[in-house]
Amino acid sequence: MNNVIECKNLTHYYGNKLVYENLNFNVREGSILGLLGKNGAGKTTTINILHGFLQPREGECLIYGENTQNLSPHTKSRIGFLIEGHVQYAFMDIHQIEKFYSGFYPNWNKEPYWELMSKLKVSPNQKISTMSCGQRSQVALGLILAQEPDLLILDDFSMGLDPGYRRLFIDYLRTYAKAENKTIFATSHIVQDMERLIDDVLVMDYNRVLAHSPIDKFMTGFKQFRFKTKIEIAGLKNEAFVVNLEKAKNEVELYTYESEDFVKDFLNKNGIQFENFSLVPMGLEDAFIGLTGKY
Amino acid sequence: MIKSIVYKEWIKTRWFLLILTAVGLLAVGNIFLKVQHAITFNEAHKYWYLVLFQNQQYFKGLKFVPLVIGLGIALVQYIPEITAKRIKLTFHLPINENRVLLMMLGYGIVVLLFCFALVFIIFTLFSQHFFGEEIVHAALVSVTPWFLAGFAAYFLTAMIVLEAIWKYRVFYFLASAAFILFFFEKGIAGAYAPLNWKLAVLTLLISLSLTFSAYRFRKGEM
Repeated sequence: MNNVIECKNLTHYYGNKLVYENLNFNVREGSILGLLGKNGAGKTTTINILHGFLQPREGECLIYGENTQNLSPHTKSRIGFLIEGHVQYAFMDIHQIEKFYSGFYPNWNKEPYWELMSKLKVSPNQKISTMSCGQRSQVALGLILAQEPDLLILDDFSMGLDPGYRRLFIDYLRTYAKAENKTIFATSHIVQDMERLIDDVLVMDYNRVLAHSPIDKFMTGFKQFRFKTKIEIAGLKNEAFVVNLEKAKNEVELYTYESEDFVKDFLNKNGIQFENFSLVPMGLEDAFIGLTGKY
Repeated sequence: MIKSIVYKEWIKTRWFLLILTAVGLLAVGNIFLKVQHAITFNEAHKYWYLVLFQNQQYFKGLKFVPLVIGLGIALVQYIPEITAKRIKLTFHLPINENRVLLMMLGYGIVVLLFCFALVFIIFTLFSQHFFGEEIVHAALVSVTPWFLAGFAAYFLTAMIVLEAIWKYRVFYFLASAAFILFFFEKGIAGAYAPLNWKLAVLTLLISLSLTFSAYRFRKGEM
């Protein structure tokens, strides 16, 4: 399967502050990749580089084989872009903005746009600036769908949306993407939203990639074990198999890619007495926090 | 694509264009109401004497009007683009980034030309009604740099608004203010005759300055 996005050896700094070094990732054609990370981990930096609004200090990103710093109009026409906060030309109404964009895209298909607009309770001449955040999200999504892009880049798509609109947005998007074999690169602060949407996950932390794999593989491979112990286990954090360790009083949460047997064997061999050992089922948000830590 | 860009710029500017054109025409109306008043109460030959030999500039009410119009059009055209960084949407359109900027700039120039031409023609017609050819010619030479200042203000305001970093905006503003002063030197009517073409060339030279701010934005200066 071809890669739609290829980022190679990306290194970027803001002043002297390193954002990341030698970051590499690809997005497969027809897949939905979710980029997760804490604030300041480099999500928006990555989005800006993908759109050519930021020149990385080193490395490059290619979209459909073209460097994102110099995307041709044809390649730009294949990319649907959702700006953080569902920003659009808010001085227009829903008719004006549809008319405006339709002039740029030869495959413009207004049906999905008007289908979404019919669900909004807005008057025909209402300016986008006077709409709620949820309504604006539907306008932005409708415009992207009408564009019929091959690749959708969605920056923090759930920002400001109430649960109903978030669900509507995600379900509509996933159904559309899978039916039309679209590729999606998405970021969101609300990690549980991603679980319903994505095929692949890329988790970034300050200066590094913590995970990059299919979501199913990540969710089955990454585990949380909980047990009780009275022994001081601070040194356990330095073991290679321990991704993260949290201890509150005698309760230990241990995050690892290793199996239950492996962890138990290790504790036994090292004389760490434990009780109530259990595998804790995790959602994507739990796994994300387990991977990146609470702080 | 051009049609769509013109459509977007028209939506942003149409009411302000109407208001600013009305301001220009009202300023001309005000000038000639005063001229009519002066001629009625001071006798025409005395007023002509003041205009011809005492440097009475009947047209000075027009001085900052094109500047205000140029500034106003630039603000209503470009502030919505930088609000919430909407310029990203414009740069993402399937069209070369410089080309889209030049289309927006072209729209601004055309509407300013329309507005200024209207004001200039009405001003000329009224001037010809009240004054002789020599006075009218000197007046037109004197008001020309003010209209050029209107274009210069438009170009420089576009550059300042599109610049993403405030420190640079302040610097550009100060440099622009110093530049604009060239268009408003004091002198007798018609004194600008040898300078007007040089000012026109200077105005033309700064016309593409907004592409520099846009280039900086695209390279990550935001």
